[in-house]
Amino acid sequence: MIKFDNVGFRYETGPEILSDISFELAAGSYHFLTGPSGAGKTSLMSLMYLGHRPTRGSLHMFEHNVGFLPRERLFEIRQKIGIVFQDFRLMNHLTAFDNVALPLRILKRPEKEIRNNVTELLDWVGLGESKDRLPPTLSGGQQQRIAIARAIIARPRLLLADEPTGNLDDTIGFRLMGLFDQLNKMGTTIVIATHNTHIMELFGHPRLILAHGRLTQETRQGPITQKIRNVS
Amino acid sequence: MSVKRPPFYVKAQEILLRTVLGSKGYDLPFGSDADRGYLLLLVGLMSFLAVLACAGTLSLHAMTQRWSSGLENKITIEIKAEDRDGTMLSPETIRLETEKITEMLQKNPAVKSFEALQEKEIKKLVSPWLGEDFSLEDIPLPGLIAVELNVSSPEALEKLTGSIKKLSPTARVDTHREWLQDILRFTGTLQWIALFVALIVALTTVTAISSGVKSRMAVHKDQVEILHLIGASDKYIARQFQWHAIIIALLGSILGTAAGLGMATFILLLSGQSGTSLIPQISLDSTSMLIFIFLPVIASIISGVTARFTVLRTLSLMP
Repeated sequence: MIKFDNVGFRYETGPEILSDISFELAAGSYHFLTGPSGAGKTSLMSLMYLGHRPTRGSLHMFEHNVGFLPRERLFEIRQKIGIVFQDFRLMNHLTAFDNVALPLRILKRPEKEIRNNVTELLDWVGLGESKDRLPPTLSGGQQQRIAIARAIIARPRLLLADEPTGNLDDTIGFRLMGLFDQLNKMGTTIVIATHNTHIMELFGHPRLILAHGRLTQETRQGPITQKIRNVS
Repeated sequence: MSVKRPPFYVKAQEILLRTVLGSKGYDLPFGSDADRGYLLLLVGLMSFLAVLACAGTLSLHAMTQRWSSGLENKITIEIKAEDRDGTMLSPETIRLETEKITEMLQKNPAVKSFEALQEKEIKKLVSPWLGEDFSLEDIPLPGLIAVELNVSSPEALEKLTGSIKKLSPTARVDTHREWLQDILRFTGTLQWIALFVALIVALTTVTAISSGVKSRMAVHKDQVEILHLIGASDKYIARQFQWHAIIIALLGSILGTAAGLGMATFILLLSGQSGTSLIPQISLDSTSMLIFIFLPVIASIISGVTARFTVLRTLSLMP
C-alpha cells in the first residue's frame, strides 16, 4: 500500500528534515506514528497525503510510484486518502454538514446519498444538532470531530490522522479510536500520529518512531514492546 | 437593528451558481469577496465601451454600404462652363451641348436612365455658396446630367466617355470613385480604430479577470489547499473560479450592454435630429441585435476561459 525507499525530504533549500526513510505499510495495517516534537512527523504525514513530494528516494502509494505519476493524476491517489489535520483545516464559511459532505461532493456522489451519509455520521460523532453551525461557533473538540468525520465519510483506503484525539475528552477520544478500529477491520489502512502514550499502550498497534528525521519501526502487542527493526 | 440586505447582483449570482454548480453552489467563500462588486463594475464598463465600439462599427458599415450602393452604376456628366482656352461659354451654348448629349444618351443601350439638371436645381445646388439672388446670365454654370448605367464596366464607361467627348470635348465624366474612395478609406480607418478599441476592451477584461482570479486565489489559498489535499482535481477547483467569473461577467455585461445600447441609441437619435444627411440613421436589424445579445455571452466566455487557465496555471505550481 505505502512503500518508502530511502526517502529524503527538505523544504526548498533548507536542511533535510527526513533522511533515508524506508518502510512499508501493508494494506489493512494500523500504525501509530510517534516521536518527539520537531522530529518530522507532520512532514512524514505530508509526504503520505501527497502534500509534498520527496526530494530524493522513491515513494510508492497504491501500486504507483508517485515520482513518476504525472501531477494531474495525483488527485486520484488523494481521493483514496482521508486526512485529519492537526489544526483541523475546516472551511470556516461552510456549515458542519457541508464540511463533512465535501469529499463526497468532490467524488460527485448523488445529493441524496450525501444527505443520508453525512447526517448519519454527524449523529454518530454527536454533532447531529450542530450540523448547520459554522466551525468558528463550535468548540475545539467539536471541530476536531467534524475534521474526523470529513476524513472518513468517503470510506478512504488510507486514513492519516495527526493528533486526532488532542482536543477530545477521554470518552469521545476512545469512542473515535474505536471507530478507527472498526474502519481498520473493514480494510482501511490507518496511520495515526500521536504523543498519547496511554492510547498507544491501550490499542497496542505497531509504532513508527521518528527521531531526528530518522525512522525506527516497532511492533507492539498490548503493553509489550518489541523492537524489530531499525531502518535508519 | 436592521439587517443589511446584499446587493441584487449578489443574490442573482448565488442563484446562478447554485443552478450551475449544484444545490450548495460553491465550496470556496466567494460570497465574502470584497472585489466582486468592482469586477462586476469593470466588466460592465468594458461591455459599455464594447457596445459603443460595435455600434460605431455597425454605423460606419451601414454608412459605407449606403454610399457604395447608392453610387453604384451612377455617373455625372459635367458640361464645363468654359472651353479649352479658358473662354467662358454662354448659358445657351451649354444648354445646346447638354441637349446633344441627352439625345445621345437616349439612344445609348448602356444607359438605364438619365436626368439633366434644370437651371432651378443647379441654382439650388450652388445657392449655399452664391446666395439665392443671382442670375445664370451673370455667372455661367456648368451643365449637369445624372446618369444611371445598366452595367458599370470599365469598357462600357470608356465607350460612353468617347461618345460624350465627340459631342462636347470639354465635358467631364465623373464616376464619383475618387471622392468615394477617400471617404471609404476614412471610414475604413475608423472601423479599424473601433475594432482596435474592442480588442483593447477584451484585453483589459482578460487582464482584470486574470489578476482578480490570482488575488482571489491568494486570499483563499488555505481553502484551495484543503480542496486540493482532500482529493479535488485541478479541474474541480478551476471550475469554481471559472463559473464565478462567468456569472459575474454575465451580470456585469448584461448591465453594461443595456447601458451601452441606451447610450448608442441616444447618440444616434441626436445625430439623426441634427439633420446631417451624411450620417445615415442606424437601425438595429436582426444581425446587429444578435451581436449585442451575444456580447454578454462573449464576455462570459472570455472571463470563464481566462479564470480557468489562470487557476490551472497557478495550481500547477502546487505539489
